[in-house]
Amino acid sequence: MFAKTPIPMELRIEHLSKTYANGTQALRDVNLTIPTGMFGLLGPNGAGKSSLMRTISTLQEADSGSIRLGDLDVLHDKDAVRRVLGYLPQEFGVYPKISAEQLLDHFAVLKGISDSRQRREVVAGLLQRTNLYEVRKKNLGGYSGGMKQRFGIAQALLGNPRLIIVDEPTAGLDPAERNRFHNLLAEIGENIIVILSTHIVGDVSDLCRNMAIINKGQVLLTGDPLVVMQELRGQVWRREVDKEQLPALLQEQQVISTRLFAGRTIVHVVAPTQPGSDYDAVEPTLEDVYFARIAQAEQAVGVEG
Amino acid sequence: MFLQIFKFEIWYRLRRPATYIYFGILLALSLLITLMTGGFFESLTAVVGVGKVHLNSPYTINSLTNALVLLPGILLVSAMFGPAVLRDFDSQMHPLLYTSPISKWGYLGGRFFGTLVVTLLLMSGIALGQIIGALFPGIPADRLGPFQLSYYLVPYLTFVLPNVLLTGAIFFALATLTRQALSTYVGSIVFLVLYIMAQSQLSDLDNQTVASLLDPLGSGATQLLTKYWTPVEKNVRLIWPTGLLGLNRLLWLGVGLLLVGFCYVRFRFEQGATGSAAPRRARPGGAALGVVAPAPVAVALPAVDQHFGFAQYFNQYLRLTWLSLRDVLRSPYFIAIVVAGLAFLLAAALQIGKIFDTTTFPITAQVIEILSGSFSLFVLAIVTFYAGELVWKERDARLNQMHDALPIPNWVPFSSKLTALLLVPVVLLLVVMMFGIITQLSSGYTNLEIGLYVRWLFGLKLIDYWLLVVLAVVVQVVVNNKYLGHFVMVLYYVFSLFAGQLGLEHNLLIYGGDSGIRYSDMNGFGHFVGPYLWFKLYWALLAVALAVGANLLWVRGTETDWRTRQHLAGRRFSGPARAALALALLGFVAVGGWIFYNTNVLNHYRGSKARQQLTVDYEKNYGRFRHTPQPRIVAVDVNVDLYPTRQEARVRGQYWLRNKTGQPLDTIILNLPSNEDVRIRKMQLGPGGATTVLADSLMGFYVQRLPRPLAPGDSLPLAFDMYYAAPGFEQSTGRTSIVANGTFINNGNLPHLGYSENAELSEPSARKKFGLKPKPRVARLEDTTARANTYIASDADWVRFAATVSTVPDQIALAPGYLQKEWTENGRRYFRYAMDAPILDFYSFQSARYAERHAKWNDVDITIYYQPGHEYNLGRMVRGVQDALSYYTKNFGPYQHRQVRIVEFPGYSAFAQAFPNTIPFSENIGFIAKVDTTDPKDVDYPYYVTAHEVAHQWWAHQVIGAAAQGGTLLSETLSQYSALMVMKQKYGPERMRKFLKYELDAYLRGRATERIAEQPLYRVENQQYIHYRKGSVVMYALANYLGEDKVNQALSQYLQEVKFQQPPYTTSLDLLRDLRQATPDSLQYLLTDMFERITLYENKADSVTARKLPDGRYRVDMVLSAKKVYADSAGNETPAKRMNDLIDVAVLGQQKINGNWQDVPLYRQKRRFRAGTTRLSVIVPSKPAKAGIDPYNLLIDRTPDDNVKAVVVK
Repeated sequence: MFAKTPIPMELRIEHLSKTYANGTQALRDVNLTIPTGMFGLLGPNGAGKSSLMRTISTLQEADSGSIRLGDLDVLHDKDAVRRVLGYLPQEFGVYPKISAEQLLDHFAVLKGISDSRQRREVVAGLLQRTNLYEVRKKNLGGYSGGMKQRFGIAQALLGNPRLIIVDEPTAGLDPAERNRFHNLLAEIGENIIVILSTHIVGDVSDLCRNMAIINKGQVLLTGDPLVVMQELRGQVWRREVDKEQLPALLQEQQVISTRLFAGRTIVHVVAPTQPGSDYDAVEPTLEDVYFARIAQAEQAVGVEG
Repeated sequence: MFLQIFKFEIWYRLRRPATYIYFGILLALSLLITLMTGGFFESLTAVVGVGKVHLNSPYTINSLTNALVLLPGILLVSAMFGPAVLRDFDSQMHPLLYTSPISKWGYLGGRFFGTLVVTLLLMSGIALGQIIGALFPGIPADRLGPFQLSYYLVPYLTFVLPNVLLTGAIFFALATLTRQALSTYVGSIVFLVLYIMAQSQLSDLDNQTVASLLDPLGSGATQLLTKYWTPVEKNVRLIWPTGLLGLNRLLWLGVGLLLVGFCYVRFRFEQGATGSAAPRRARPGGAALGVVAPAPVAVALPAVDQHFGFAQYFNQYLRLTWLSLRDVLRSPYFIAIVVAGLAFLLAAALQIGKIFDTTTFPITAQVIEILSGSFSLFVLAIVTFYAGELVWKERDARLNQMHDALPIPNWVPFSSKLTALLLVPVVLLLVVMMFGIITQLSSGYTNLEIGLYVRWLFGLKLIDYWLLVVLAVVVQVVVNNKYLGHFVMVLYYVFSLFAGQLGLEHNLLIYGGDSGIRYSDMNGFGHFVGPYLWFKLYWALLAVALAVGANLLWVRGTETDWRTRQHLAGRRFSGPARAALALALLGFVAVGGWIFYNTNVLNHYRGSKARQQLTVDYEKNYGRFRHTPQPRIVAVDVNVDLYPTRQEARVRGQYWLRNKTGQPLDTIILNLPSNEDVRIRKMQLGPGGATTVLADSLMGFYVQRLPRPLAPGDSLPLAFDMYYAAPGFEQSTGRTSIVANGTFINNGNLPHLGYSENAELSEPSARKKFGLKPKPRVARLEDTTARANTYIASDADWVRFAATVSTVPDQIALAPGYLQKEWTENGRRYFRYAMDAPILDFYSFQSARYAERHAKWNDVDITIYYQPGHEYNLGRMVRGVQDALSYYTKNFGPYQHRQVRIVEFPGYSAFAQAFPNTIPFSENIGFIAKVDTTDPKDVDYPYYVTAHEVAHQWWAHQVIGAAAQGGTLLSETLSQYSALMVMKQKYGPERMRKFLKYELDAYLRGRATERIAEQPLYRVENQQYIHYRKGSVVMYALANYLGEDKVNQALSQYLQEVKFQQPPYTTSLDLLRDLRQATPDSLQYLLTDMFERITLYENKADSVTARKLPDGRYRVDMVLSAKKVYADSAGNETPAKRMNDLIDVAVLGQQKINGNWQDVPLYRQKRRFRAGTTRLSVIVPSKPAKAGIDPYNLLIDRTPDDNVKAVVVK
């Protein structure tokens, strides 16, 4: 889709740690290698995803460690990173009294697109791709959440980004919009690095060939979603229980998730063998992997502590 | 429900740190000002007395309370009441709250009154600060009265409570109904503006009542109530809300409650601001929830070229600058503030140059000065406010993360915002300029001087605003909290107001400080521009350094803690930043050094404390020479060489000194200018010189011993040659006397003899502090030794005078005397003047490029030397001279000179002064007056001032009082009287009333601010409000009671007795004796009351009714009350015991004269009144309109307006 196809490169994060002034340890010795394509960063709220994203996006300093994008030292050569970066923050606002077209043009100027004809074309193109072309003259103040989000992605795609970081992009989108958003991302992510941070497992399983699970500032797992699911095959078991049985079960088994379905509680546990007759084997989903890993990590901390 | 919300609001507010910060601000400011007034900081600066009003008097407490409730009070009130409801919207709490079952009254009322209680509590910081301040050690006991709780409580209840309620209601309603935080900010500024405008209307005597009612905070009414209070009254009288003030308080308390009610009616528990507002979230077009949008067209995105590099960055910078500027200019709040500013300008424009309610022509300099001065408050507000808005623009829109990740260098957003804000004052000054031009054109004035506008506004004024802009932006960036940033700026403004009083006086120490700049039509900006620009360059370099620093600290990214910012700043501190910072700081230090070299090395800088110390040293070291007998100057022949372009002068010449004492004199004391001002090239006593016994060149105090004592009656010459140099420039521009065009110096710059008591420290509290004995302001009337000197000189009586003045070839130089010869030599122009008869040792030298207007009165030549362009009132001045000469020669005695010259000088001072046959006259008090003689309210003051100065040729230059109490009665009061009579003759008695009303008001105000002791007229101690203002009123009344002729005869007789007399000099006792002789016994009491006592009447028309008689005439029945009190020097009053005074009674009708309705007396008679109520009936020929007692306000009465009442015809 871009005329100039960038040479494949990777983002290499090594021993990255960060502690905030208030004492919160946001990142602990994070090591990740992110190749071109879509990369999913999965983790619960407060896991450190946004901290990591902001650090890569040059908005935040790290205490130690390094980030390299190809030859670029991300932590020190911020200007160079910004020239190839497209960033969609988790939360953002807009100037309410100007139109999408105007604001996008404004951003285009700031991204160094000085030729006004090119700028006009790329702005129009992006607005079409994000399906905002019809409303391009409307003031952004009147946009719905989804429209605003699409505007955000349009903004992130301006210029010739080689690294796109989207932080929780689908939060607040309805299913149709989310779907469209995914298509757009998938298309972009063919040749460049797209890091998608989310707490919705489905986003990752739908889109990414690579992923990492992060919790409490630590990377718990990296890999291909299909491979990691494969690794858990035969170890995930499902059982329907009553509400009263749950506390006892939590003691006995390594429960990775509980979910209500039609008034009954459905429990997934991890065990090398079938824990009992009322357990059915299930094909592990990415969600199971996610919960299993997080539960494991919590336990490990418990043991260490 | 109400009670719960009310209590919760109080509880919530008491837990907010802001509440305590606001309390702390008020407490600190109140304490600071109290300590300052109490003289606590006088160890840092000079001792300035504060008079007799106690630091903790009800008046002082009330004034300070009101001042602080206004500022910063109003801002705090808006900060408290704005969020009372608004915070629910800001925190998105409102959907939760508005769906809960709370009542509207409970919600609004609880919030409002809860906030009110807390705000009232925090306002108590003002009182607390004052109480603590008064307890501080080091406050002299005589500045304090007894502590009374009521002094603090009454203002709290009378002013703080209703004012907080009113302004709180305004901001509460604004915030609640608009749901915009900004509206309260703008609201508070607009409120302040309207308030100040109402205040400025108060100065016009005719609409005081209306203005004081309309003033929402009641301080106008307070002013009206207390303006005549003497120190004693200020110390004990509580300001109760009675009369107009009470009405005002009730009115505005009611308005406040109405506003709360209005807010209640309009408020809806809905999402939108008010019920009527359209729903905000209209459905946007295109894809919306639930509608499946068409799949996006898979358009290929075009390839783009990205450019990075300086050219691109600069382009981005320009674009961002333009966008930021457009944001500001389009913002409704900007427009609102500017509109308020324009309204304010309009009010200011109407006041241009008002003296006696008579305006001046809108000459460009005046228009610029007044308009740009009035507007600067708005510029301050706009700059402070928008610095915050611009710096926070991305963050407020929550766009900052996207923005910060863009490939632009830090300097692009920072400098574009800075530049945009730098352009804002340019726009504002353009507005001022347009407004000024419109003002000028609309009054038919077409000499626009666009160049002056541009130079003044965009050359000088703009620099100040730019410095301010940089500071405001830097503060916002560094502090990184919008509201704290605003607060820091307010602190800076407060600091710059008070810096001097805290001992920071040098302009190198106060950001933006400069040596001052003065404009005069005659002299342009003169030599002030250079030093001014040096100072501005100095501060500009600092501003650049600050800006570079702020750019380093520019917040980019999500981490805003100080450590990270510091760390990032360190990383950003690269080559260019280092170079820029180093260059700016280097330049700052270098320019600072250059300025310091000029102000403190080439010139001698002393702070006010050091200067005061110098006068103390002078007295302590040399006071013992106070009574050393000295010869007198009897002849003066000087050469004054003026070098106007370099502000220098050479003064050389010779005095003859004669021993007029009865004993031989061998010690001569020379009192010369300090060697810091002058280089003494020659100072030689007698032909052979004298031995120097003591030489203090810094103080200019020299004691010389003659080789042979000077025998009584003998004379000896004093030859001198002094050079006034003007090296470099000074820290504060003092050199306004020798200037490029419009030099005006007097004989104070020449040598004098003997110890000078005038050089002593006079302020009583300062004397006390420095351990000096108390010193009377002026010698007592009974002190016979004081009669040895006139009140203007202690080393001369009448002198023979001749002078040669030289100047640059295109200027005319003047000195008293008649021109003997004029010639050119060595490229300079010389004038030789000589007097044909002795004059007082009091003369001046002037030089400028003058135009001349010649006229004659009999054989007296009249010449006005004026600045071309200032022709407006030359005719009035000439007529003033002519009418004055004819009245005075007819009624007092002959004029001693053959010439009268009026000589214009630059408006660095605004006065006219009479020297022998020569009257220097400031360009600002008459030359540009715009007198409309058809308007009965306009006072022709160019004519009047001229007549006054001409009168001094009699009353000063013929009759000169001794250096004792009452001395200025003989010159100033009699000149006022003389000019009044000339003016009355020309304009008629009706026109005089306006003038006298101002004089009465000025006298009563003057006595209210007396710092030492009010004296009766015959003991006046050079107090202007007495010898001018009271003098006018008293003498005019005297002429009415005795008859003008009788008064003139007495004056003429007095003149014959004492004119040109040698010591002992005359005192007011001599004048009074002659006046008494001319006064019948029945009116002797009047002289006593007017001259020897401080007498105040409280006369009033209680009721006046009329009945039409069968013959068509009217019978008017009046109930009149009269009262007379005597005040002592502090203002304590005692009723006069036996009052039996002649007072005018009049019935006035209305008649149309020249198209104006005017009062005409139908009946006027002096009747005897005893204290108390008197009933009177008189019959008048036609329909009466008004009637009363002392209707023309001949007597001194603090409520002159209740003397007459409209007649009720039954």
